[in-house]
Amino acid sequence: MKRMGFLIILLLILSQGLFAAVGCDLNDPDRDVKRLFPSSTGYKAYYMSITQKGGKALLAKVEKRLGDKFTGLYETADVPYTIYEIYKDKQVTGYIHGVNQKGQYGGIQVFLALDTKGVILNLYYQKMTNQAAKSFRSDDFAKQFKGLSMKDFASYNPSTGKQEGSLAKIKNPAVKAEKDFKATLRGVKKNLILMQEFGYIK
Amino acid sequence: MPSLFGIAWKNLRRKRLRSMLTIVGIALSTWVLVSLLGFNQGYENSLNKDIDNLGFQVLLTAKGCPYEAATLMLKGGTGLKYMPYSIVDSVKANPQVEEVTPMLMQVVFDPNKGESGGVTAFLGIDPATYPKMKTYLIFEQGKWFDKPEAMEAVFGYEAAELEQREVGDLYLLPESDVEVTVVGVLKRSGTQDDGTIFLPVRTVQNVYKLENKITSIGIKVNKETDLAAYEEELYKLSDVQVVSMAQVKMTISNLVATARVMVMSIALIAILIAMVGVMNTVLMSVLERWQEIGIMKSMGAMTSHIFKLIWFETILLTFVGGIVGSVMSWILATVTDKLIRSVLPYSPTSALVQIDVLLALKAIGIIMAIGLISGIYPAWKAAKIRPIEAIRSTDGEL
Repeated sequence: MKRMGFLIILLLILSQGLFAAVGCDLNDPDRDVKRLFPSSTGYKAYYMSITQKGGKALLAKVEKRLGDKFTGLYETADVPYTIYEIYKDKQVTGYIHGVNQKGQYGGIQVFLALDTKGVILNLYYQKMTNQAAKSFRSDDFAKQFKGLSMKDFASYNPSTGKQEGSLAKIKNPAVKAEKDFKATLRGVKKNLILMQEFGYIK
Repeated sequence: MPSLFGIAWKNLRRKRLRSMLTIVGIALSTWVLVSLLGFNQGYENSLNKDIDNLGFQVLLTAKGCPYEAATLMLKGGTGLKYMPYSIVDSVKANPQVEEVTPMLMQVVFDPNKGESGGVTAFLGIDPATYPKMKTYLIFEQGKWFDKPEAMEAVFGYEAAELEQREVGDLYLLPESDVEVTVVGVLKRSGTQDDGTIFLPVRTVQNVYKLENKITSIGIKVNKETDLAAYEEELYKLSDVQVVSMAQVKMTISNLVATARVMVMSIALIAILIAMVGVMNTVLMSVLERWQEIGIMKSMGAMTSHIFKLIWFETILLTFVGGIVGSVMSWILATVTDKLIRSVLPYSPTSALVQIDVLLALKAIGIIMAIGLISGIYPAWKAAKIRPIEAIRSTDGEL
């Protein structure tokens, strides 16, 4: 038995794996769902990717709507997305969905809590590294996104970063972290587009 | 007058198909034998190479210092003990030591990690020595640092995935406002290196004010070194603890010994099959030529002449079969390698079947010895034929 244990350890030490796409799901769904939807009574998780739902054609469509190309290891067509469908009793009351987005210091994970019509109820950074991360994670910053939906982000162009219409009201909480602010806006837009393309919101 | 050797050769050519089939049988046995011996040699060499690639055989740390990231995390990132950098020179001074690599582990609190912050560990390494010891670490992207004080980082596979970093990204060192650039992401290695963030050792010393301090030294000793004795020697240094890979190496040695017994058993079966095959063929040939041998004896051939003649035939068959089999095993070594790899649960990375001239000569020698032994009975049977009885009968009998 002891020898078998050693053998297993040895095989683990000497074996090699493959590079896989990294998804974006909640670290602690029970806790996070309750926090983002306090009145919820349950949730179901659904998994999907662009490759699975429409392949290259869907990727091209998403990129066109986003106004930017997908780049990097953590923003590929095969990234598995997790959509949490939130229930109050038997009624669907909303969704939680997160995306990976390249920030100033590596990846950030932008989660949105949405109602069934696709209106943003809350914004949550599961992962973000920068000196001003606290300001970005504050309720004051998240509040600026409440009530916005895809129609507010439709004209936003991530490559120019120009904020127009209702987006113009969203203020960067840290001037030094402009890159992460723009990344957040891009992440939110990508999140909403994917929710529409996956058929959860209109 | 033709020599006995010439007559033996002529006799074999008279029954070409049978001689060819016998040679093919011997060649196949030789192929199995050479391949097995080559596997025995290659598997051990290859495993040893993989063990060497594991890096250092001995890890020296400050007494009480956790030496694995997992232990460190269990302790909440506390309990790190340091050694002076000068200890590297003391260790290096031993002639048994082939290479040493100093390491400095540092644990910091990262407020951006998780919900309410978490602990992040870095391993400061010497870019000149560490990669040489950990040759199994292969890059998915990028490369190791350029300089020992470079403001650069290399991420293990899992660490890169967790932090979502790729080459060119910036990384903000927690508890400092220092930025480093990610210059490499490693492939998955199945070791704790997958979850490690590597920085140049001097960078860790400078950023976290740990000048001339290290937490561990990886030591690679010569192959001939008695590890247990060397470890005892290391304990003469003050306030150190020694972590050894000797147990892993012992397990591998046991594995190799088991494999060797199995291989030799199969080789023995191959030898026996060849032996019986050769004996059968030559004996059949003797029985068919019963009258002919009787006539040869009646014309003055001595018992020793007949014995030698049949023996030469056997030696010729095994010699030609041995050479054909050895050449075959050399040509098909790659195919054999692939075949073995497909059935082994774990195969070392280097060539599994290593065939050289010495091994081929050894195999030919073994096959010829088999020929000599298995030829004794048919040769003796032929030599003791009585001419008058043989001429009267049509076929010989056992």
